[in-house]
Amino acid sequence: MAHDLLNLLVLWSVYLLFALGMSVVWGSIGVLNFAHGATFMFSAFTGHLISTRLDLGVVPTVLLCLLVGAGLAVVAHFLIVEPVLRATPNVAAAELRVLIASIGVAAVLLAIAQTATRSAPFGFAPVAVPLIEVAGVRISLIQLLIIALGLGVSLGVAVLMRTSRFGIALRGIGLDPETASLMGVDRTRLAAAVMGVAGALAGLAGALLTYHLGSIVPETGDLMVIKAFAAIVLGGLGNVYGVILGTFVLAVAETAVLTYTPGTWVDAVSFGLILLVLLVRPHGLLGRAEVRRT
Amino acid sequence: MTVLELDDVAVHFGGVRAVDGVSLRVEPGRIYGLLGPNGSGKSTLLAAVSGLVPLTRGSITYAGLSARRHSPAEVARSGVARTFQTVRLLADLTVLENVLLGTDRPGRFRAARRGRARAQRAAAMDALTRVGLDGSADRRPAELSYGMQRRVEIARAIAMSPHLLLLDEPVAGMNREERAEVRDVLCTLRGEGLTQLLVEHDVQMITDTCDEVVAMNSGTVIARGDPDDVVREPAVREAYLGKRWGRRADGG
Amino acid sequence: MSGVLGANSVLVQAMLVNLLLALSLQIPLRSGVFSFAGLGSYGLGAYTAAIVVLRFDHPALLALAEGVLLSGLVGVLLARLLRRLNGLYLGMASIAYGGILAVVVANGGALTGGAEGLYGVVADLGLTEITVIVLLVVVAVALSERGRTGRAVAAVREDPELAAAMGVDVARVRFVVLVAGCMVGGLAGGINAIMLTNVAPTDFGFHLAVLGLTMIIVGGARTWLGALVGAAIFTWLPIALQALGDWRTVVYGCLVAAVAVWAPHGLIGLAGQAVRAVRRSASRRKPPGPGAGRAPTGAAEVDLLAGEGVGASVGRPM
Repeated sequence: MAHDLLNLLVLWSVYLLFALGMSVVWGSIGVLNFAHGATFMFSAFTGHLISTRLDLGVVPTVLLCLLVGAGLAVVAHFLIVEPVLRATPNVAAAELRVLIASIGVAAVLLAIAQTATRSAPFGFAPVAVPLIEVAGVRISLIQLLIIALGLGVSLGVAVLMRTSRFGIALRGIGLDPETASLMGVDRTRLAAAVMGVAGALAGLAGALLTYHLGSIVPETGDLMVIKAFAAIVLGGLGNVYGVILGTFVLAVAETAVLTYTPGTWVDAVSFGLILLVLLVRPHGLLGRAEVRRT
Repeated sequence: MTVLELDDVAVHFGGVRAVDGVSLRVEPGRIYGLLGPNGSGKSTLLAAVSGLVPLTRGSITYAGLSARRHSPAEVARSGVARTFQTVRLLADLTVLENVLLGTDRPGRFRAARRGRARAQRAAAMDALTRVGLDGSADRRPAELSYGMQRRVEIARAIAMSPHLLLLDEPVAGMNREERAEVRDVLCTLRGEGLTQLLVEHDVQMITDTCDEVVAMNSGTVIARGDPDDVVREPAVREAYLGKRWGRRADGG
Repeated sequence: MSGVLGANSVLVQAMLVNLLLALSLQIPLRSGVFSFAGLGSYGLGAYTAAIVVLRFDHPALLALAEGVLLSGLVGVLLARLLRRLNGLYLGMASIAYGGILAVVVANGGALTGGAEGLYGVVADLGLTEITVIVLLVVVAVALSERGRTGRAVAAVREDPELAAAMGVDVARVRFVVLVAGCMVGGLAGGINAIMLTNVAPTDFGFHLAVLGLTMIIVGGARTWLGALVGAAIFTWLPIALQALGDWRTVVYGCLVAAVAVWAPHGLIGLAGQAVRAVRRSASRRKPPGPGAGRAPTGAAEVDLLAGEGVGASVGRPM
């Protein structure tokens, strides 16, 4: 029982880190970055390549994945988002083009990883993970790290978005350079920074999940995007607390399905949630009823 | 028979009373002007008449049919055409195709299948000729000047063969000659029996074109009647120029 | 000679199926309806055809018809349920349909063959029949791009409010295109199932979505020609790039990203732009005719404005 609860918390934390990045970008710049999942996976893949070669420990590997994630996101931003914005005055069309282009990027990253690993699972250099005992329950330090990071970073981001100047500036930025410049903000740099942070979160999530499961496969990335979308939509777009709630519900639902049914129904959970939320309450549990960006 | 009748129409958006109790009777074959400064509610009133916003109160009756809410498509199908404040042409279609969209109005052509395409094309070209743009039929809207684009919009509305034409600031952004041309087109159409409702805040256009004017401010009617009289009313001048200047202009 | 045809006939059949798949996505997309229900329908049509052939020994054409019918019915249900959704939300909901269906068939036990799928789906379906069927669909789509229907579709896509003001029943157009997309998707899946004699849950997953999207993005999302170009490219490109082995997918991804960024209307869009540019420079050499704008600013100015710059003010929905 405690064991299951622990797994639930770990799963939640990973989903939360990943979904937060996606939600912040989507809610501020307005871009749904399909490559977020590929960033997640590719950072872990890079971590796999380097940590196994250099026999790196946990902390360096995690940091490496984080940096790779941030780097990938920033590069993608300047390669894709900026050129599209320059070429399309119409914001709605620009969002669509960026979305499609991000699918292309995701496909590229997926293909590279698939080819290099022949679609086999990949993990990091093995590490000896100490176990500690808390209230009669044995927790591995990795699990503790994941939960602490997941909750800590999320709370941090939540506070940042609500209170700091950076966070407030972000909330209204959108893709429209005019709005941003009217706020006295350098849109390009702010957008790149947001993408970078999101990428770092994706990379972090990727590293942590890989340590937790031992290994992941290249296809995991795209699956994560679907799950994150389900969680964000469930919680309500544009609301950090919504993401926290949505990922929690998702983690609980998936764990329940895994426990009480044959595991093959798990993927249906996120799809089912998406359909259910969009049919019944499209703006999610905590979202605002208006701003429906298409 | 009255073409259009508004009975104590009100449109509220939450706390904002965009239109607050407007009554109006539109008789056939005349051009009515809706005059007022920005924010007076005239565009919202037009939107209500074309079915784009629901009424909070009152009713709108079109030549016999009354309801609290008609969908824009129903309104269009019953023979009401409109132009918009911003140019809304389809960039992927040619000018002619844009105007043909107007002729697509359900119920417009009851002709047989065979002759229909040709009849539609003829009607579209006729509408374009009226606004002086028949030579631009195969161009894309992007290739035309702003004033020309607005004229294409008018052609499209005419092509619907409406019995009521709603125009939302049709000459905004046009130069003097273009305005005169548009005025001529509207007057010619009136001569052919087309009833029109013109929203404008250009006073010159109103006095040149309209038979009757309704002046609005803050959602209500502040004056109505002959154009030359209405524009001289102190209340109207005040609405445009503010209390101080309004009194001055009045000769006080 | 027949040897060559034999070798190529598999490819041609694959291309025809891909064409239908592309069309199933394009038909709704052309009206601004972001429905990917064609993908789920592909799976539904495939499994339906497979099941009726295996269990009831139905002939190929009947099996296809059943797949199309069932896809259409589910499409009607979806259209009703999802009618208030737009854009990205509609897209994701319609993808969820396919996702759930995949999980359902993977857990379908003996009926659907579970995770392995169904084998031995043998029915008589030749290249000629497939070609005729696809031709009929293409003709129908092509006709819907012209005249009154074409204009209504363009209006619903670009400016639904304007379309309504012109008397177009926007809700009905959106409904029809969504269901049509589903039916064409079901047809594609059914043909593929009979062609390959098997179906599996993995047949209509993420990679199918990428393939479908890639075809219409690279080919062009606005017209059936784009679907054809896309289908042709992505059926034959793998052969051409065989030397690259698994790295081919990298090329596809780059292609999609590049096209999305620089040529959003795909190759057909580029071709259209080129044709128009040639026509414009040709007409510039002719003096403008009468009525080419009695703008007092002078007819000459009309040509100077022939460029993309003025485009920004046109047709932007409020």
